[in-house]
Amino acid sequence: MIVRTPPAKKQRATEMESPPPAGPGPLVIYEDDPPPSSLPPTDSSHHLLCTYQCRQMVKSDFIDAFSNAEKQVSDYQSRLEALNNNFCKVESERKKFLDQFLYAEQELAAAKGREQALQEQLLKEVHDSHERLTKQLQSYSELEVKLQNEMNLRMKAESSAALAEERASSLEGKLSHLSESIEREKKRLHNDLAHLKKESELSVARITADLERMECRAHNAEKESELLQEQLDDVKEQLSECVQQKSEVEKKLSSSTLQEVKSTDDILVKHLQEELRNYDAEVREARKLKSSHENVELLKEKLLEEKSRRERVESELSKLQELQPSMKTLEDEFTSWKLMLKDIPGVSCSEDIPVKFAALQKEVIDSMMKVGLANARLKQVEVSLDAAQIDKQNAETEAALAKEKVDASKSEVNRIELMLSMVTEERDKLRNVVNELKLAKNDEAGHETSNQTFLQELESSLAKKECYIKELECGLCEQKEVNSRQREEIKLLNERLNNEARRIKSLERESDRLGSEIALLESKLGHGDFSAANTKVLRMVNTLTVDNEAKQTIEALRTELQKTKEKLQAVEELRSQSGDAGKLVDSYISEKIVQLKEQIATLEKREERYKTVFADRISVFRRACCELFGYKIVMDEHQRPNGIPVTRFTLQSIYAQSDDEKLEFEYESGSTNILANDYTSHPEISHQVEIFIRKLNSIPAFTANLTVESFNRRTLT
Amino acid sequence: MASRTATKDIITLRGSAAIVSEFFGYSANSILYNRGVYPEESFVKVKKYGLPMLLTQDEGLKSFIANLTAQLSEWLESGKLQRVVLVILSKATNEVLERWNFSIETDNEVVEKGESREKSDKEIMREIQAIMRQIASSITYLPCLDEACVFDVLAYTDKDLAVPFTWVESDPKLIANPQIVKLHSFDTKASSRN
Repeated sequence: MIVRTPPAKKQRATEMESPPPAGPGPLVIYEDDPPPSSLPPTDSSHHLLCTYQCRQMVKSDFIDAFSNAEKQVSDYQSRLEALNNNFCKVESERKKFLDQFLYAEQELAAAKGREQALQEQLLKEVHDSHERLTKQLQSYSELEVKLQNEMNLRMKAESSAALAEERASSLEGKLSHLSESIEREKKRLHNDLAHLKKESELSVARITADLERMECRAHNAEKESELLQEQLDDVKEQLSECVQQKSEVEKKLSSSTLQEVKSTDDILVKHLQEELRNYDAEVREARKLKSSHENVELLKEKLLEEKSRRERVESELSKLQELQPSMKTLEDEFTSWKLMLKDIPGVSCSEDIPVKFAALQKEVIDSMMKVGLANARLKQVEVSLDAAQIDKQNAETEAALAKEKVDASKSEVNRIELMLSMVTEERDKLRNVVNELKLAKNDEAGHETSNQTFLQELESSLAKKECYIKELECGLCEQKEVNSRQREEIKLLNERLNNEARRIKSLERESDRLGSEIALLESKLGHGDFSAANTKVLRMVNTLTVDNEAKQTIEALRTELQKTKEKLQAVEELRSQSGDAGKLVDSYISEKIVQLKEQIATLEKREERYKTVFADRISVFRRACCELFGYKIVMDEHQRPNGIPVTRFTLQSIYAQSDDEKLEFEYESGSTNILANDYTSHPEISHQVEIFIRKLNSIPAFTANLTVESFNRRTLT
Repeated sequence: MASRTATKDIITLRGSAAIVSEFFGYSANSILYNRGVYPEESFVKVKKYGLPMLLTQDEGLKSFIANLTAQLSEWLESGKLQRVVLVILSKATNEVLERWNFSIETDNEVVEKGESREKSDKEIMREIQAIMRQIASSITYLPCLDEACVFDVLAYTDKDLAVPFTWVESDPKLIANPQIVKLHSFDTKASSRN
């Protein structure tokens, strides 16, 4: 805006200096004739007629006129002075007004500058808000695109969910089938259990019956054993009696052999032999009794065992009773487990449970991974949400700032309006003053034309100012409108922001769901799945293993080659040294022989030492046997005519009265047989042989009996 | 990292491909050592990524891995590589025992426009270190490989890629009922892998 400078004062100064155009100038006497200077020279004759009188008259008239004129002049001068004074006053007033006007103009200019600045600011704000709006729109469009994507993904997810539902329904059908089969299995198991219970009861009953029977048998066996023991005692007594009788008879016999005649001997011998046979039979009976006694003992032991068994069985029965409730509880548990099994989908028997558990664990791991991924996604979304919220806060603060600015501009406008009103008032006042001046100067219009023009100028400028002020008012109105529009826009934007926040939340939810889906897909991807449509799998031709194998074989062949080379070299060396080879070999062999001989010598020594030790040991053993069993035992090897090797043992009692008293035994593959010789062919010995070895089949009894007899004989003699 | 550009903190596509393929070489070495596919004595210790790493001295394996990394680098630069899998198979039965999955995500913008993104060298190194440590530590809870094993390298590529001379198309050699362990990932701003 251009600040208007006050109009130049010079002009006025010149005006002031120059005499007013309507001023007194050359005096003209209107009552008289025109001045003689202006008279044409043709009228000089008339003038000459009334010379003096006329001249006097004219002179007096002129003097009067002059004095009048002088008076008038002085009046005019005084009036001029007064007017001048007035004019000065007016001028000063005018100056004052002009200054005021200039001040007002300056203020106006400042106000305009402020207004312009405000306008610029407002423009900038509008521009900013417009940019923000465009940004918001852009983000909105982006979000829309995202939403579209999310929708698509959701559609896919829904389709997959439908598939999963179908699968689930099929699985449910399977499950029901499985539960039916489980029910059947359960029924079968119940039947089995009942059957087993019955069986166990039956077996218990059988066992108790067996027990009773065994008890009866044990009682019987006890009784029998008692009876048998009594019999045994009797038989023992009889046996002792028999032995006594036998000894007596023997004594008798010995005495009778010396004293009585041979003829009676035979009879007696026969008699005695019969007796002996009887005794033998008795002895056999006694043995039988003994064996039965042993049987009885065995039976007693068995009885005891049976009793213990019975006790055990009774305890077991009590335990069984105790166990039955626990069995029931176990059955209950079993049923509960079965129910649980039914509850678990995809499990038909207990073996499936670990598999199921493994699958569940895997699922848990997968889901954990998914959760982690979803959390990451969530965090991202949260971060974006935070950013959005920060943006929102910024926008709000900006809106608040804009509001404040609007308020400030409003107050500014009010101030400007006030100023305007003040200026208009001043203007009105000025106008009034000017009007007054006009009225005052109406008379001296001719003098005041310049003033009028100036005033007109002032008026015109005032009018212009008014126009400006109107324009400014219009601008203010427009600004107000713009402000209100902006406010509305801000409101709209706020609403939109809220909407966007809501949408962001819904998108977050959607994104969570999608995150889980993405995790699922990623797990698939991690497995190594790929779409054959846009991916192909290439494999780098790996010849390393083949190379390795070839290398290994080459290495092996090389080592073999090396070995054969070495061998060849050795052979060649040997060949080259063939002259010396014989000697070398000889010396080598002789060394070997010496070594072997030494070894043999040491081994022989060792053998001899062993032999002596063995001989010592065996002699000790033999002596001990001789001392303990009363027989010297000589062992030697023989061969039968048919070539079979036989070991022969020759026994000589330490109580033997002659060297001929020898017993010979043949030992062959586990069986020992007595051999007939001179000593054994004695009737006494042969009788004993007959009884002990042939009938009773006991060589130790025979030898012991013989030892006792020979001892008796020795000690008696 | 020969193809690193002059500016320290800017990684170009070439630089990224070199980093990733080199990383794959080192991880393959590490896995083959740790899983006992190759004998322990055929590896020597070197310092890499601020960690002691083991490198094979077996000439065959060395050249194999060198060829592999060169090829991978080429594919990474073209942005056609999706994934690299190191498969450990039983030598006797050819059964797949382990799959080491290296997923690769290439930033297509970088491939097409040749732009480079900023990421500090240290940051990448730290990420790679974390993966290497994880590979070493994951060995502790993997089951022992009692039998003699061989390995194979599979590359999941785009369909339109021309198959080079030393590569053949293969099946993915999946494991029927796998246990999956997820490891860290690193990002060179041009491509990332895990």
